[in-house]
Amino acid sequence: MNIVIECQNLWKIYGKIVAVKNVSLKVSEGEIKLLFGPSGSGKSTFLRCLAMLTTPTKGEVFLRGEQLTKENAELDKARARIGFVFQHIWLFRHLTAVGNVELGLKRVLKLPRQKAKERAMKALREVRMEDWANHHPAQLSGGQQQRVGIARALAMEPDIMLLDEPTSALDPELTGEVIDTLRDLAKKGMTMLIVSHEMPFAREVAEEMIFFDEGTVIEKGEPERFFTNPRSERAQKFMARLIKRTRRE
Amino acid sequence: MSQKLDVVQILLLILGGVPTTLSISLFSFLMGVAIGIPLSFAKTYGGKFPQILVDGYEKIFRGIPELVLLLMFYFGIGYYIPTPFKNAFFTGIFVLGLRSAANQSQVYRGAIRGIGEDQMIVARSLGLSKLLSIVYVMIPQVFMFSTPGLGSEYALLIKDSAYLFFLPGITEMLEIANGIRKATGVTTTPYLIAAFLYILLTFPIATWLDKWGSRKKKQLGM
Ligand SMILES: Nc1ncnc2c1ncn2[C@@H]1O[C@H](COP(=O)(O)OP(=O)(O)OP(=O)(O)O)[C@@H](O)[C@H]1O
Ligand SMILES: [Mg+2]
Repeated sequence: MNIVIECQNLWKIYGKIVAVKNVSLKVSEGEIKLLFGPSGSGKSTFLRCLAMLTTPTKGEVFLRGEQLTKENAELDKARARIGFVFQHIWLFRHLTAVGNVELGLKRVLKLPRQKAKERAMKALREVRMEDWANHHPAQLSGGQQQRVGIARALAMEPDIMLLDEPTSALDPELTGEVIDTLRDLAKKGMTMLIVSHEMPFAREVAEEMIFFDEGTVIEKGEPERFFTNPRSERAQKFMARLIKRTRRE
Repeated sequence: MSQKLDVVQILLLILGGVPTTLSISLFSFLMGVAIGIPLSFAKTYGGKFPQILVDGYEKIFRGIPELVLLLMFYFGIGYYIPTPFKNAFFTGIFVLGLRSAANQSQVYRGAIRGIGEDQMIVARSLGLSKLLSIVYVMIPQVFMFSTPGLGSEYALLIKDSAYLFFLPGITEMLEIANGIRKATGVTTTPYLIAAFLYILLTFPIATWLDKWGSRKKKQLGM
């Protein structure tokens, strides 16, 4: 299997805070992996290191075998091939939905106007947002905004999508539409590393679940095992809490 | 020439200086934009060295009285480099523009902080370089976040254009008002009318800029 993204012994240290501690991980073509763990455990920081949005303190990152953690690595080009969806959504506020999606197509991939527009509209259709193409983010609901965020990453036709808790900023009644969008992507065979606590969804699509705590991987394995019999005590406790919360909702 | 002039005649004469006053202010404002924007980004995203340079620039041009700068450039530097500094119109705009750039740089820096880090991070995540992110994502938003600061800066330039009174050959409003006083001996009316016109030139535009910014920000949920 072709490895799309890989990291080896990755660390990120902010002064005295060790946000990411010696993490190694691979995601292969077509795979979906799901990362989860308590708040503040370093999931966002880890994902950002993978996309080289922050420079890791130590360790290596490879995108399709090309080392990103070396001097003179072409990071802008690499980032264009990694679709990133942000926890706090973060659309460009001065641009419409289609403007958000077009920006990378025009300015990074250098597609001509008409081509960029067509491809942006296609991506918006895939997240069922084509009717809202000319609205500004402020006129959209959180769920709609996040779907535009997904379309923006998707339109670049990335090698992999990294999604950082795409539903955690949303009201519970709006998470469904975003999860549906992710389900569609999964069906199309998109390679994804998703940070999420949407457990039914995880069980359905993930090949592997990775439990993260205190900046490092505590346990990884098939979803079924996490739901029935996690090995580590920390994962057991965390799963129990999550399942209880899901039932309540 | 000691003929008597009525108010309307004085007004008409001083109105003749409006184009000069306006163009001095407008050009120096634009020069302030052209220099202030790069300065503010250099100070925000540049390394240590650019930060020190920008800081020094701002201190110098905000610290020295504009009249000193004007006379220094026109008579001092103009003595050695007559073209273009012996052109009072050019030097006036040049000096006010440099000073305005120092002010505007601070205004824009506040705006960049107001916009927040996230917009830059997202742009970089799409593969845009730092420069392209600044051009296509930050700068369009910077202007919306910079009113009312830019409105005050424009008003300041209208007022400071009066300093060009001290350079020869520029018939801006104050120069004309003063000329009328000398020629006719009418001591108050010309200055009052000039004062009234200065207010008329500043506040409507400054207020409009402020309103535009607030409306835009509200519309876009900023
Ligand atoms: N830029 C930064 N400077 C200093 N510390 C940081 C920075 N970014 C993150 N941290 C710290 O790193 C740790 C991990 O934060 P991170 O946001 O990655 O966690 P998380 O697992 O994504 O949490 P959440 O589930 O709440 O999103 C935290 O202690 C946080 O305070
Ligand atoms: Mg996070």
